[in-house]
Amino acid sequence: MESPIIFLRPFNLSDAEDVFKWAGDDDVTRYLRWDSVKTIEEAKQHILNKAIPHPWRRSISLLQHGRSLGYVSVKPDSGDGRCRADLAYAVAKEFWGRGIATAAVRMAVEQAFEDFPELVRLQAVVEVENKASQRVLEKAGFRKEGLLEKYGFSKGEIRDMFLYSFVKDDCFV
Amino acid sequence: MEMDSQKTQPIISSSPPGRISLRPMTLSDVDDYMVWATDPKVARFCTWEPCTSRDEAIKYITDRVLTHPSLRAICLEDDRPIGYILIMAVDNIRKEIGYVLARKYWGKGFATEAVRLVTAEVFKECPEIERLEALVDVDNVGSQRVLEKVGFTKEGVMRKFLCIKGSVRDTVMFSFLPTDTLK
Repeated sequence: MESPIIFLRPFNLSDAEDVFKWAGDDDVTRYLRWDSVKTIEEAKQHILNKAIPHPWRRSISLLQHGRSLGYVSVKPDSGDGRCRADLAYAVAKEFWGRGIATAAVRMAVEQAFEDFPELVRLQAVVEVENKASQRVLEKAGFRKEGLLEKYGFSKGEIRDMFLYSFVKDDCFV
Repeated sequence: MEMDSQKTQPIISSSPPGRISLRPMTLSDVDDYMVWATDPKVARFCTWEPCTSRDEAIKYITDRVLTHPSLRAICLEDDRPIGYILIMAVDNIRKEIGYVLARKYWGKGFATEAVRLVTAEVFKECPEIERLEALVDVDNVGSQRVLEKVGFTKEGVMRKFLCIKGSVRDTVMFSFLPTDTLK
C-alpha cells in the first residue's frame, strides 16, 4: 500500500468540531487512556487543557492546514528517563485502513528526534487485543520488546500490554 | 522392575532460610552503610554516585534513607547491615523493587533471600498490587540472576531506556505477579 501524504500541525481551538468527530467516538478512544468527549464544548476543553499545553501533540490532516482527523503525540520523560518518550496516536474511524496512522507515526518519530536532542528512544505500549495498532508500529519500524503483564489500567481494567520501541539508530521499514 | 521404595530427600535450597533479616536503617548504621555507598563497583548500575565522606553519608541517610517509606537494611546474624532493599510505588497497581549489597557479600544468595522475603510480603500487605517489577541494567548479570532465582519473569530488554551517569543504557524488565510462584 502506498503511503499517504499527511501533515502534522499544532492544534487550534477552531479544530473543536473536527476533533469531536474522532475524540467523541468510542471506537477511536477504546484503547486510549482517556474517555470519549461528549460534546463539542468538551472537545474544545480537551484541546485547551490537553492538546495545546502538551509538550508535543500534533493534529493529523491530509492537506496542509487541513481538517484534523486524528493526533499523534510524543511525551518525553524526565531525569534518568530523559532519553525516552512515550508515543500515542489515534485516527478517525472513517480514515482507518489507509496507512494514515503509520505515516503519522513515521513523521512524528523523525520530528521528535530533531525536536528533543536528548531523545534516543521512543516507546509505545499497546494492548494485546489491539492488533491494528500493533501493525501500525511494526510497519513504522518499531520493535516489539516484550509482553508486560498487568501493566496498567485502561478504562477501569488491568491490561496486559506489548512494549514497542524505536531507537535512534533504527531504520524505518 | 520394582523400584526400591526410598524416602525422598528433603530439598536443600542453596540459601537456607533465616540467614538474613530486614529492619529499618538507623543513623548508627552509617559506617556499615559507607562500606557499600563508597564502592564504585556497587554504584556502577545505580543512579547515585559513590559517597565521598562520612558527613555526606549522614546527610544522605537522614534526608533520603530514614524518610523512605519502605527502605530496609539487609542484616546478617549480628544485625549489621550488608545492604538494603526497597519498594517504590509506580502507580496504584504497580510497585518496583530495588536492592543493593556490599560487594563482599555478593554471590552468596543474600540478595535472593531478601528479594524473596520482600516479594512475598508485598502481595500479602498490598492486595491491590497487580504487578511487582524490577528494572536491571543489561550488563548487571548478578542482579538478573537474583530475580530469576526468585521466580521473576524476564519480559524483555528495553533498548536505550535509561540515562545513567551520562550514558544511555539498555534495561531488562522483570515482573512478578500475584499469581506467580516464588521459587
